[in-house]
Amino acid sequence: MDVPDTVATALGDRPVTGRRCLEAGAGMGNATAGLLANGAARVYAVTNDPDHARTTRRRVADSGVADSGGDGSDGDGSDRGNDADRLAVLKADLRSIPLPDGSVDLITAHGLCNVLDPAALSTVAEELSRVAAPGAHLVVDDYDPLPDGTAIGELFAVENAASELARCRPALTFYPAAFLRRFFAGHGWEFERERTLLEPVPWTESHVSAHADEAASMAAECPGEAGDTLSATARRLATEIESESVGRMYSLAFRRPG
Amino acid sequence: METRPLGDTGHDSTVMTFGAIALNWLEQEGANQLVEHVLDYGVNHFDVAPTYGDAELKLGPKLRQHREEIFLGCKTQERTYEGAWRKLDRSLNRLGVEKIDLYQVHGLEYDEELNEITGDDGALTGFREAKEQGLIDHIGLTSHGDPGLILDALDRIDDLESVMFPLNPVVAGKDGDEYDYEAVLARADEKNVGTLGIKAFAGGSWPPTDELPEADRPFANWYRPVTAPDEIRERFDFAAAQGLTSVINAGDPKLITMILEAAADYDGMDEAAQRSVIERARHDDSPVPEQLHH
Repeated sequence: MDVPDTVATALGDRPVTGRRCLEAGAGMGNATAGLLANGAARVYAVTNDPDHARTTRRRVADSGVADSGGDGSDGDGSDRGNDADRLAVLKADLRSIPLPDGSVDLITAHGLCNVLDPAALSTVAEELSRVAAPGAHLVVDDYDPLPDGTAIGELFAVENAASELARCRPALTFYPAAFLRRFFAGHGWEFERERTLLEPVPWTESHVSAHADEAASMAAECPGEAGDTLSATARRLATEIESESVGRMYSLAFRRPG
Repeated sequence: METRPLGDTGHDSTVMTFGAIALNWLEQEGANQLVEHVLDYGVNHFDVAPTYGDAELKLGPKLRQHREEIFLGCKTQERTYEGAWRKLDRSLNRLGVEKIDLYQVHGLEYDEELNEITGDDGALTGFREAKEQGLIDHIGLTSHGDPGLILDALDRIDDLESVMFPLNPVVAGKDGDEYDYEAVLARADEKNVGTLGIKAFAGGSWPPTDELPEADRPFANWYRPVTAPDEIRERFDFAAAQGLTSVINAGDPKLITMILEAAADYDGMDEAAQRSVIERARHDDSPVPEQLHH
Protein backbone atom coordinates (compact mmCIF):
# COMPACT_ATOMS: atom_id res chain seq x y z
CA MET A 1 0.00 0.00 0.00
CA ASP A 2 1.78 3.09 -1.24
CA VAL A 3 1.96 6.10 1.05
CA PRO A 4 0.92 9.16 -0.95
CA ASP A 5 3.58 11.86 -1.17
CA THR A 6 1.15 14.31 0.40
CA VAL A 7 0.97 12.15 3.53
CA ALA A 8 4.71 11.44 3.55
CA THR A 9 5.42 15.16 3.32
CA ALA A 10 2.92 16.09 6.02
CA LEU A 11 4.30 13.46 8.41
CA GLY A 12 7.94 13.96 7.43
CA ASP A 13 8.78 16.29 10.32
CA ARG A 14 6.41 14.76 12.91
CA PRO A 15 7.45 12.18 15.54
CA VAL A 16 5.48 9.05 14.68
CA THR A 17 7.76 6.20 15.78
CA GLY A 18 6.38 4.46 18.83
CA ARG A 19 3.42 6.85 19.18
CA ARG A 20 -0.27 6.16 19.63
CA CYS A 21 -1.88 7.75 16.58
CA LEU A 22 -5.38 8.62 15.44
CA GLU A 23 -6.39 9.09 11.81
CA ALA A 24 -9.52 11.19 12.11
CA GLY A 25 -11.71 10.48 9.10
CA ALA A 26 -9.95 7.49 7.60
CA GLY A 27 -11.21 7.71 4.00
CA MET A 28 -9.09 5.18 2.12
CA GLY A 29 -6.63 4.95 5.00
CA ASN A 30 -3.95 7.04 3.31
CA ALA A 31 -2.70 8.66 6.52
CA THR A 32 -3.01 5.31 8.31
CA ALA A 33 -0.62 3.86 5.73
CA GLY A 34 1.85 6.67 6.40
CA LEU A 35 1.57 6.31 10.18
CA LEU A 36 2.16 2.55 10.04
CA ALA A 37 5.05 2.96 7.62
CA ASN A 38 6.64 5.52 9.94
CA GLY A 39 6.54 3.12 12.85
CA ALA A 40 3.48 4.14 14.87
CA ALA A 41 2.98 1.93 17.92
CA ARG A 42 -0.76 1.91 17.32
CA VAL A 43 -3.10 3.54 14.82
CA TYR A 44 -6.78 4.15 15.46
CA ALA A 45 -8.47 4.82 12.11
CA VAL A 46 -11.84 6.38 12.87
CA THR A 47 -14.52 6.72 10.21
CA ASN A 48 -18.29 6.66 10.18
CA ASP A 49 -18.36 5.19 6.70
CA PRO A 50 -18.52 1.36 6.69
CA ASP A 51 -17.06 1.22 3.16
CA HIS A 52 -14.10 3.32 4.22
CA ALA A 53 -13.59 1.18 7.32
CA ARG A 54 -13.57 -1.96 5.16
CA THR A 55 -11.25 -0.43 2.55
CA THR A 56 -8.73 0.71 5.16
CA ARG A 57 -8.73 -2.68 6.86
CA ARG A 58 -8.36 -4.53 3.57
CA ARG A 59 -5.60 -2.28 2.19
CA VAL A 60 -3.48 -2.76 5.28
CA ALA A 61 -4.16 -6.49 5.50
CA ASP A 62 -3.45 -7.04 1.78
CA SER A 63 -0.24 -5.16 1.53
CA GLY A 64 1.83 -5.17 4.67
CA VAL A 65 3.02 -1.58 4.82
CA ALA A 66 6.77 -1.24 4.57
CA ASP A 67 8.02 -0.35 8.03
CA SER A 68 10.79 2.19 7.66
CA GLY A 69 10.34 3.49 11.18
CA GLY A 70 12.95 6.15 11.82
CA ASP A 71 16.02 4.91 13.64
CA GLY A 72 14.63 1.40 13.97
CA SER A 73 14.29 1.63 17.71
CA ASP A 74 11.04 0.56 19.22
CA GLY A 75 10.21 3.85 20.89
CA ASP A 76 8.15 2.93 23.89
CA GLY A 77 8.94 -0.74 23.34
CA SER A 78 5.50 -1.53 22.00
CA ASP A 79 4.90 -4.20 19.41
CA ARG A 80 5.76 -2.97 15.93
CA GLY A 81 5.30 -6.28 14.17
CA ASN A 82 2.44 -7.02 11.85
CA ASP A 83 0.75 -3.89 10.49
CA ALA A 84 -2.73 -5.28 11.01
CA ASP A 85 -1.85 -5.88 14.67
CA ARG A 86 -1.01 -2.22 15.12
CA LEU A 87 -4.21 -0.99 13.48
CA ALA A 88 -7.68 -0.63 14.97
CA VAL A 89 -10.33 0.59 12.56
CA LEU A 90 -13.17 2.10 14.58
CA LYS A 91 -16.49 2.72 12.92
CA ALA A 92 -17.64 5.76 14.83
CA ASP A 93 -18.75 9.37 14.52
CA LEU A 94 -15.89 11.81 15.05
CA ARG A 95 -18.23 13.99 17.06
CA SER A 96 -18.12 11.25 19.67
CA ILE A 97 -14.80 9.39 19.45
CA PRO A 98 -14.78 6.07 21.35
CA LEU A 99 -11.40 6.74 22.98
CA PRO A 100 -10.60 7.96 26.50
CA ASP A 101 -9.38 11.46 27.34
CA GLY A 102 -5.68 12.06 26.69
CA SER A 103 -5.15 8.71 24.94
CA VAL A 104 -3.36 9.61 21.68
CA ASP A 105 -0.01 11.26 20.91
CA LEU A 106 -0.53 12.23 17.29
CA ILE A 107 -3.68 13.02 15.31
CA THR A 108 -4.02 13.39 11.56
CA ALA A 109 -6.95 15.14 9.90
CA HIS A 110 -5.90 14.50 6.29
CA GLY A 111 -8.52 15.94 3.93
CA LEU A 112 -11.05 15.84 6.75
CA CYS A 113 -12.11 19.41 7.48
CA ASN A 114 -13.49 20.08 4.01
CA VAL A 115 -16.19 17.45 4.53
CA LEU A 116 -17.19 19.00 7.87
CA ASP A 117 -19.58 21.95 7.89
CA PRO A 118 -18.81 24.61 10.53
CA ALA A 119 -21.07 23.02 13.17
CA ALA A 120 -19.50 19.58 12.73
CA LEU A 121 -15.99 21.05 12.58
CA SER A 122 -16.57 22.78 15.90
CA THR A 123 -17.68 19.58 17.66
CA VAL A 124 -14.96 17.45 16.06
CA ALA A 125 -12.26 19.92 17.16
CA GLU A 126 -13.48 19.59 20.74
CA GLU A 127 -13.31 15.81 20.52
CA LEU A 128 -9.84 15.79 18.98
CA SER A 129 -8.67 18.10 21.76
CA ARG A 130 -10.22 15.82 24.37
CA VAL A 131 -8.54 12.59 23.20
CA ALA A 132 -5.14 14.29 22.73
CA ALA A 133 -2.55 13.61 25.43
CA PRO A 134 -0.57 16.57 26.80
CA GLY A 135 2.16 17.39 24.26
CA ALA A 136 0.28 15.58 21.46
CA HIS A 137 0.75 16.57 17.82
CA LEU A 138 -2.00 17.46 15.35
CA VAL A 139 -1.61 17.51 11.56
CA VAL A 140 -4.38 19.17 9.54
CA ASP A 141 -4.10 18.77 5.76
CA ASP A 142 -6.69 20.48 3.61
CA TYR A 143 -7.49 22.68 0.64
CA ASP A 144 -7.61 26.44 0.34
CA PRO A 145 -10.82 27.74 -1.25
CA LEU A 146 -10.62 27.46 -5.04
CA PRO A 147 -10.17 30.61 -7.08
CA ASP A 148 -13.27 31.85 -8.90
CA GLY A 149 -14.20 30.55 -12.31
CA THR A 150 -12.78 27.01 -12.19
CA ALA A 151 -14.56 24.09 -13.79
CA ILE A 152 -14.02 21.78 -10.81
CA GLY A 153 -15.47 24.57 -8.62
CA GLU A 154 -18.66 24.35 -10.65
CA LEU A 155 -18.89 20.62 -9.95
CA PHE A 156 -18.36 21.24 -6.21
CA ALA A 157 -21.10 23.88 -6.35
CA VAL A 158 -23.51 21.31 -7.77
CA GLU A 159 -22.43 18.80 -5.12
CA ASN A 160 -23.04 21.41 -2.43
CA ALA A 161 -26.43 22.47 -3.87
CA ALA A 162 -27.61 18.85 -3.91
CA SER A 163 -26.31 18.33 -0.38
CA GLU A 164 -28.02 21.50 0.91
CA LEU A 165 -31.34 20.47 -0.62
CA ALA A 166 -31.11 16.84 0.49
CA ARG A 167 -29.50 17.25 3.94
CA CYS A 168 -29.57 20.95 4.77
CA ARG A 169 -25.79 21.19 4.95
CA PRO A 170 -22.95 21.61 2.44
CA ALA A 171 -21.00 18.57 1.28
CA LEU A 172 -17.72 20.48 1.03
CA THR A 173 -16.36 23.54 2.80
CA PHE A 174 -12.87 24.67 1.85
CA TYR A 175 -11.40 26.45 4.85
CA PRO A 176 -8.44 28.76 4.21
CA ALA A 177 -5.23 27.67 5.98
CA ALA A 178 -5.24 30.89 8.00
CA PHE A 179 -8.77 30.14 9.19
CA LEU A 180 -7.99 26.64 10.49
CA ARG A 181 -4.76 27.85 12.00
CA ARG A 182 -6.60 30.37 14.18
CA PHE A 183 -9.49 28.00 14.76
CA PHE A 184 -7.34 25.22 16.24
CA ALA A 185 -5.31 27.81 18.17
CA GLY A 186 -8.65 28.79 19.70
CA HIS A 187 -9.02 25.17 20.80
CA GLY A 188 -5.72 25.38 22.66
CA TRP A 189 -3.37 24.00 19.97
CA GLU A 190 -0.05 25.77 19.50
CA PHE A 191 0.71 26.36 15.84
CA GLU A 192 4.06 24.90 14.71
CA ARG A 193 4.31 25.13 10.93
CA GLU A 194 2.57 25.31 7.56
CA ARG A 195 3.66 23.49 4.36
CA THR A 196 2.29 23.46 0.85
CA LEU A 197 1.57 19.86 -0.08
CA LEU A 198 0.22 20.35 -3.60
CA GLU A 199 0.14 23.38 -5.85
CA PRO A 200 -1.63 23.10 -8.15
CA VAL A 201 -3.95 20.39 -6.85
CA PRO A 202 -4.45 17.72 -9.54
CA TRP A 203 -8.18 16.97 -9.67
CA THR A 204 -7.87 13.86 -11.84
CA GLU A 205 -10.52 12.03 -13.84
CA SER A 206 -10.87 9.70 -10.90
CA HIS A 207 -11.53 12.57 -8.45
CA VAL A 208 -13.95 14.24 -10.85
CA SER A 209 -15.90 11.05 -11.33
CA ALA A 210 -15.97 10.34 -7.57
CA HIS A 211 -17.35 13.84 -6.88
CA ALA A 212 -19.85 13.57 -9.72
CA ASP A 213 -21.08 10.25 -8.26
CA GLU A 214 -21.37 11.87 -4.85
CA ALA A 215 -23.34 14.79 -6.30
CA ALA A 216 -25.62 12.46 -8.24
CA SER A 217 -26.35 10.26 -5.24
CA MET A 218 -27.28 13.29 -3.13
CA ALA A 219 -29.32 14.74 -5.98
CA ALA A 220 -31.32 11.51 -5.95
CA GLU A 221 -32.39 12.38 -2.39
CA CYS A 222 -33.53 15.88 -3.42
CA PRO A 223 -37.23 16.52 -3.73
CA GLY A 224 -38.80 17.33 -7.12
CA GLU A 225 -37.25 18.48 -10.35
CA ALA A 226 -34.25 20.12 -8.71
CA GLY A 227 -32.71 16.71 -8.05
CA ASP A 228 -33.00 15.64 -11.69
CA THR A 229 -31.47 18.90 -12.89
CA LEU A 230 -28.57 18.73 -10.45
CA SER A 231 -27.90 15.10 -11.29
CA ALA A 232 -27.86 15.85 -15.03
CA THR A 233 -25.60 18.86 -14.47
CA ALA A 234 -23.16 16.79 -12.42
CA ARG A 235 -22.96 14.18 -15.18
CA ARG A 236 -22.49 16.80 -17.86
CA LEU A 237 -19.73 18.55 -15.90
CA ALA A 238 -17.93 15.27 -15.25
CA THR A 239 -17.75 14.64 -18.99
CA GLU A 240 -16.74 18.20 -19.81
CA ILE A 241 -14.08 18.64 -17.12
CA GLU A 242 -12.17 15.35 -17.33
CA SER A 243 -9.45 16.78 -15.10
CA GLU A 244 -8.21 20.13 -13.86
CA SER A 245 -5.17 21.19 -11.85
CA VAL A 246 -6.00 24.16 -9.66
CA GLY A 247 -5.80 25.40 -6.07
CA ARG A 248 -3.56 24.52 -3.15
CA MET A 249 -3.45 21.75 -0.56
CA TYR A 250 -1.71 22.70 2.67
CA SER A 251 -0.52 21.01 5.83
CA LEU A 252 -0.72 22.65 9.26
CA ALA A 253 1.01 21.20 12.31
CA PHE A 254 0.08 21.98 15.90
CA ARG A 255 1.12 20.83 19.36
CA ARG A 256 -0.85 20.49 22.55
CA PRO A 257 0.88 22.23 25.47
CA GLY A 258 2.69 19.57 27.55
CA MET B 1 20.20 25.31 -22.44
CA GLU B 2 21.23 24.73 -18.81
CA THR B 3 24.26 22.50 -18.29
CA ARG B 4 25.23 20.42 -15.25
CA PRO B 5 28.49 18.67 -14.37
CA LEU B 6 28.37 14.99 -15.37
CA GLY B 7 29.83 13.62 -12.15
CA ASP B 8 33.62 13.71 -12.13
CA THR B 9 34.02 13.47 -15.91
CA GLY B 10 34.86 17.16 -16.26
CA HIS B 11 32.11 17.47 -18.87
CA ASP B 12 29.10 19.73 -18.36
CA SER B 13 26.14 18.05 -20.03
CA THR B 14 23.09 19.92 -21.21
CA VAL B 15 20.06 19.13 -19.07
CA MET B 16 18.70 17.25 -22.09
CA THR B 17 20.61 14.41 -23.72
CA PHE B 18 19.77 13.49 -27.30
CA GLY B 19 18.74 9.84 -27.45
CA ALA B 20 19.85 9.06 -30.98
CA ILE B 21 17.56 6.04 -31.29
CA ALA B 22 15.22 8.62 -32.86
CA LEU B 23 17.42 8.59 -35.98
CA ASN B 24 16.59 4.96 -36.62
CA TRP B 25 13.14 5.90 -37.90
CA LEU B 26 14.36 8.55 -40.33
CA GLU B 27 16.02 8.44 -43.73
CA GLN B 28 19.56 9.80 -43.82
CA GLU B 29 18.49 13.30 -44.91
CA GLY B 30 15.92 13.53 -42.12
CA ALA B 31 18.47 12.18 -39.64
CA ASN B 32 20.93 14.89 -40.67
CA GLN B 33 18.25 17.54 -40.20
CA LEU B 34 17.28 16.21 -36.77
CA VAL B 35 20.89 16.33 -35.56
CA GLU B 36 21.23 19.92 -36.78
CA HIS B 37 17.93 20.76 -35.08
CA VAL B 38 19.08 19.28 -31.77
CA LEU B 39 22.42 21.10 -32.00
CA ASP B 40 20.61 24.37 -32.72
CA TYR B 41 19.11 24.09 -29.24
CA GLY B 42 22.59 23.71 -27.77
CA VAL B 43 22.29 20.04 -26.78
CA ASN B 44 25.85 18.77 -26.26
CA HIS B 45 25.38 15.19 -25.00
CA PHE B 46 24.31 12.42 -27.40
CA ASP B 47 23.56 8.82 -26.57
CA VAL B 48 23.45 5.92 -29.00
CA ALA B 49 23.79 2.13 -29.04
CA PRO B 50 24.49 -0.61 -31.56
CA THR B 51 21.08 -2.12 -30.79
CA TYR B 52 19.21 0.96 -32.05
CA GLY B 53 18.78 -0.31 -35.62
CA ASP B 54 21.05 1.75 -37.84
CA ALA B 55 21.09 4.84 -35.61
CA GLU B 56 24.90 4.68 -35.32
CA LEU B 57 25.27 4.77 -39.09
CA LYS B 58 22.78 7.60 -39.51
CA LEU B 59 24.35 9.64 -36.72
CA GLY B 60 27.81 9.23 -38.31
CA PRO B 61 27.93 12.00 -40.93
CA LYS B 62 26.72 14.84 -38.71
CA LEU B 63 28.61 13.49 -35.70
CA ARG B 64 31.86 13.67 -37.67
CA GLN B 65 31.02 17.17 -38.95
CA HIS B 66 30.31 18.44 -35.41
CA ARG B 67 32.55 16.11 -33.42
CA GLU B 68 33.90 18.84 -31.13
CA GLU B 69 30.43 20.01 -30.10
CA ILE B 70 29.19 16.57 -29.09
CA PHE B 71 29.93 14.51 -25.97
CA LEU B 72 29.23 11.04 -27.32
CA GLY B 73 27.82 8.23 -25.23
CA CYS B 74 27.56 4.70 -26.63
CA LYS B 75 26.98 1.33 -25.02
CA THR B 76 27.27 -2.42 -25.30
CA GLN B 77 25.12 -5.30 -24.15
CA GLU B 78 28.14 -7.59 -24.23
CA ARG B 79 29.21 -8.80 -20.80
CA THR B 80 32.56 -10.43 -21.66
CA TYR B 81 35.99 -8.95 -22.37
CA GLU B 82 36.02 -10.28 -25.96
CA GLY B 83 32.46 -9.28 -26.68
CA ALA B 84 32.92 -5.76 -25.36
CA TRP B 85 36.05 -5.20 -27.47
CA ARG B 86 34.27 -6.54 -30.56
CA LYS B 87 31.27 -4.25 -30.08
CA LEU B 88 33.41 -1.22 -29.29
CA ASP B 89 35.39 -1.70 -32.51
CA ARG B 90 32.17 -2.13 -34.43
CA SER B 91 30.60 1.02 -32.95
CA LEU B 92 33.72 3.10 -33.64
CA ASN B 93 33.61 1.88 -37.24
CA ARG B 94 29.91 2.46 -37.72
CA LEU B 95 30.06 5.90 -36.15
CA GLY B 96 33.26 6.70 -38.01
CA VAL B 97 35.02 8.32 -35.05
CA GLU B 98 38.32 7.82 -33.22
CA LYS B 99 36.90 7.94 -29.75
CA ILE B 100 33.72 7.50 -27.70
CA ASP B 101 33.53 9.89 -24.75
CA LEU B 102 31.35 7.72 -22.52
CA TYR B 103 31.14 3.95 -23.03
CA GLN B 104 28.43 2.26 -21.01
CA VAL B 105 27.46 -1.24 -19.95
CA HIS B 106 24.00 -1.40 -21.54
CA GLY B 107 20.88 -2.67 -19.79
CA LEU B 108 22.28 -4.51 -16.76
CA GLU B 109 19.48 -6.66 -15.38
CA TYR B 110 20.78 -9.53 -13.23
CA ASP B 111 23.20 -10.03 -10.36
CA GLU B 112 25.09 -12.64 -12.42
CA GLU B 113 25.70 -10.03 -15.09
CA LEU B 114 27.25 -7.71 -12.53
CA ASN B 115 29.53 -10.56 -11.43
CA GLU B 116 30.40 -11.25 -15.04
CA ILE B 117 31.27 -7.69 -16.12
CA THR B 118 33.39 -7.12 -13.01
CA GLY B 119 35.29 -10.44 -13.41
CA ASP B 120 38.77 -10.80 -14.93
CA ASP B 121 37.29 -11.78 -18.30
CA GLY B 122 34.49 -9.28 -17.96
CA ALA B 123 33.48 -6.37 -20.15
CA LEU B 124 34.94 -3.79 -17.77
CA THR B 125 38.44 -5.19 -18.20
CA GLY B 126 38.01 -4.47 -21.90
CA PHE B 127 36.60 -1.01 -21.16
CA ARG B 128 39.67 -0.17 -19.03
CA GLU B 129 42.08 -1.29 -21.73
CA ALA B 130 40.19 0.79 -24.27
CA LYS B 131 40.42 3.75 -21.91
CA GLU B 132 44.20 3.32 -21.60
CA GLN B 133 44.42 3.23 -25.39
CA GLY B 134 42.43 6.44 -25.66
CA LEU B 135 39.46 4.85 -27.46
CA ILE B 136 37.03 5.82 -24.71
CA ASP B 137 37.26 8.51 -22.05
CA HIS B 138 34.77 7.51 -19.36
CA ILE B 139 32.90 4.42 -18.14
CA GLY B 140 29.18 4.31 -17.43
CA LEU B 141 26.35 1.86 -16.86
CA THR B 142 22.68 1.77 -17.83
CA SER B 143 19.85 -0.25 -16.35
CA HIS B 144 16.09 -0.26 -16.14
CA GLY B 145 16.37 -3.13 -13.73
CA ASP B 146 16.20 -3.38 -10.00
CA PRO B 147 17.46 -0.25 -8.17
CA GLY B 148 19.26 -2.53 -5.71
CA LEU B 149 21.37 -3.92 -8.54
CA ILE B 150 22.36 -0.41 -9.66
CA LEU B 151 23.28 0.46 -6.07
CA ASP B 152 25.50 -2.65 -5.96
CA ALA B 153 27.11 -1.64 -9.24
CA LEU B 154 27.83 1.83 -7.82
CA ASP B 155 29.52 0.23 -4.83
CA ARG B 156 31.48 -2.38 -6.77
CA ILE B 157 32.74 -0.43 -9.81
CA ASP B 158 35.17 2.20 -8.55
CA ASP B 159 35.78 3.87 -11.89
CA LEU B 160 32.09 4.21 -12.80
CA GLU B 161 31.43 7.79 -13.85
CA SER B 162 27.76 7.75 -14.91
CA VAL B 163 24.60 5.73 -14.39
CA MET B 164 21.47 5.81 -16.56
CA PHE B 165 18.15 4.67 -15.08
CA PRO B 166 14.38 5.38 -15.20
CA LEU B 167 12.90 8.28 -13.27
CA ASN B 168 9.40 9.67 -13.68
CA PRO B 169 6.41 10.59 -11.49
CA VAL B 170 4.84 7.14 -11.86
CA VAL B 171 7.80 5.32 -10.25
CA ALA B 172 8.46 8.22 -7.86
CA GLY B 173 4.91 7.77 -6.49
CA LYS B 174 5.40 4.08 -5.72
CA ASP B 175 6.89 2.77 -2.51
CA GLY B 176 8.87 -0.41 -2.34
CA ASP B 177 12.53 -1.03 -3.05
CA GLU B 178 11.85 -2.18 -6.62
CA TYR B 179 10.83 1.40 -7.52
CA ASP B 180 13.38 3.23 -5.41
CA TYR B 181 15.41 4.90 -8.14
CA GLU B 182 15.57 7.97 -5.88
CA ALA B 183 18.00 5.94 -3.75
CA VAL B 184 20.13 5.38 -6.85
CA LEU B 185 20.13 9.11 -7.54
CA ALA B 186 21.13 9.88 -3.96
CA ARG B 187 23.97 7.31 -3.90
CA ALA B 188 25.26 8.48 -7.29
CA ASP B 189 25.27 12.07 -6.02
CA GLU B 190 27.20 11.04 -2.91
CA LYS B 191 29.83 9.40 -5.10
CA ASN B 192 29.80 12.25 -7.60
CA VAL B 193 28.70 9.91 -10.40
CA GLY B 194 26.74 11.51 -13.26
CA THR B 195 23.05 10.62 -13.58
CA LEU B 196 21.11 10.24 -16.83
CA GLY B 197 17.33 9.79 -16.70
CA ILE B 198 15.33 7.57 -19.06
CA LYS B 199 11.58 6.91 -19.33
CA ALA B 200 10.81 10.45 -18.15
CA PHE B 201 7.99 10.61 -20.72
CA ALA B 202 6.49 7.16 -20.15
CA GLY B 203 2.72 7.36 -19.76
CA GLY B 204 2.10 3.64 -19.30
CA SER B 205 2.22 0.34 -21.13
CA TRP B 206 0.77 -0.16 -24.58
CA PRO B 207 -2.53 -2.04 -24.66
CA PRO B 208 -2.14 -5.80 -25.24
CA THR B 209 -1.31 -6.62 -28.86
CA ASP B 210 -4.67 -8.32 -29.46
CA GLU B 211 -6.29 -4.94 -28.76
CA LEU B 212 -3.64 -2.80 -30.47
CA PRO B 213 -1.27 -4.66 -32.80
CA GLU B 214 2.30 -3.42 -32.67
CA ALA B 215 2.03 -2.16 -36.24
CA ASP B 216 -0.85 0.14 -35.23
CA ARG B 217 0.95 1.89 -32.39
CA PRO B 218 1.25 5.59 -33.16
CA PHE B 219 4.66 6.03 -31.52
CA ALA B 220 7.94 4.19 -31.87
CA ASN B 221 8.45 3.86 -28.13
CA TRP B 222 8.67 0.78 -25.95
CA TYR B 223 6.06 2.40 -23.72
CA ARG B 224 3.08 4.67 -24.39
CA PRO B 225 4.51 8.19 -24.14
CA VAL B 226 2.76 11.32 -22.93
CA THR B 227 2.23 13.43 -26.02
CA ALA B 228 0.54 16.74 -25.16
CA PRO B 229 2.97 19.69 -25.06
CA ASP B 230 2.09 20.68 -21.49
CA GLU B 231 2.44 17.09 -20.27
CA ILE B 232 5.80 16.77 -22.01
CA ARG B 233 6.92 20.00 -20.36
CA GLU B 234 5.70 18.87 -16.96
CA ARG B 235 7.46 15.50 -17.29
CA PHE B 236 10.70 17.18 -18.36
CA ASP B 237 10.55 19.69 -15.53
CA PHE B 238 9.83 16.93 -13.03
CA ALA B 239 12.76 14.77 -14.15
CA ALA B 240 15.19 17.69 -14.31
CA ALA B 241 14.04 18.93 -10.90
CA GLN B 242 14.87 15.58 -9.26
CA GLY B 243 18.51 16.53 -9.74
CA LEU B 244 19.49 14.25 -12.64
CA THR B 245 22.45 15.53 -14.60
CA SER B 246 20.52 15.15 -17.84
CA VAL B 247 17.19 13.82 -19.15
CA ILE B 248 17.04 11.70 -22.30
CA ASN B 249 14.28 12.32 -24.83
CA ALA B 250 11.59 9.80 -25.70
CA GLY B 251 12.75 7.79 -28.68
CA ASP B 252 10.16 8.86 -31.23
CA PRO B 253 11.28 11.72 -33.52
CA LYS B 254 7.76 13.22 -33.48
CA LEU B 255 8.22 14.16 -29.82
CA ILE B 256 11.71 15.61 -29.99
CA THR B 257 10.90 19.25 -30.73
CA MET B 258 8.47 19.46 -27.80
CA ILE B 259 11.12 17.99 -25.51
CA LEU B 260 13.78 20.38 -26.82
CA GLU B 261 11.45 23.30 -26.17
CA ALA B 262 10.76 22.10 -22.64
CA ALA B 263 14.49 21.62 -21.98
CA ALA B 264 15.37 25.03 -23.38
CA ASP B 265 12.75 26.69 -21.15
CA TYR B 266 13.55 24.65 -18.03
CA ASP B 267 13.54 26.90 -15.00
CA GLY B 268 13.09 24.53 -12.04
CA MET B 269 9.94 23.12 -10.50
CA ASP B 270 9.05 23.68 -6.85
CA GLU B 271 8.37 20.76 -4.53
CA ALA B 272 4.61 21.30 -4.23
CA ALA B 273 4.34 21.21 -8.02
CA GLN B 274 6.49 18.03 -8.13
CA ARG B 275 4.16 16.36 -5.63
CA SER B 276 1.23 17.51 -7.71
CA VAL B 277 2.60 15.61 -10.73
CA ILE B 278 3.28 12.51 -8.61
CA GLU B 279 -0.20 12.66 -7.13
CA ARG B 280 -1.84 12.87 -10.54
CA ALA B 281 0.18 9.94 -11.84
CA ARG B 282 -0.74 7.95 -8.74
CA HIS B 283 -4.46 8.48 -9.27
CA ASP B 284 -4.27 7.81 -13.01
CA ASP B 285 -2.53 4.55 -12.23
CA SER B 286 -4.24 3.55 -9.01
CA PRO B 287 -5.74 0.19 -8.13
CA VAL B 288 -7.44 1.86 -5.15
CA PRO B 289 -11.12 2.85 -5.43
CA GLU B 290 -11.97 6.35 -6.61
CA GLN B 291 -11.23 8.95 -3.97
CA LEU B 292 -12.55 12.40 -3.19
CA HIS B 293 -9.19 13.56 -1.81
CA HIS B 294 -5.41 13.50 -2.30
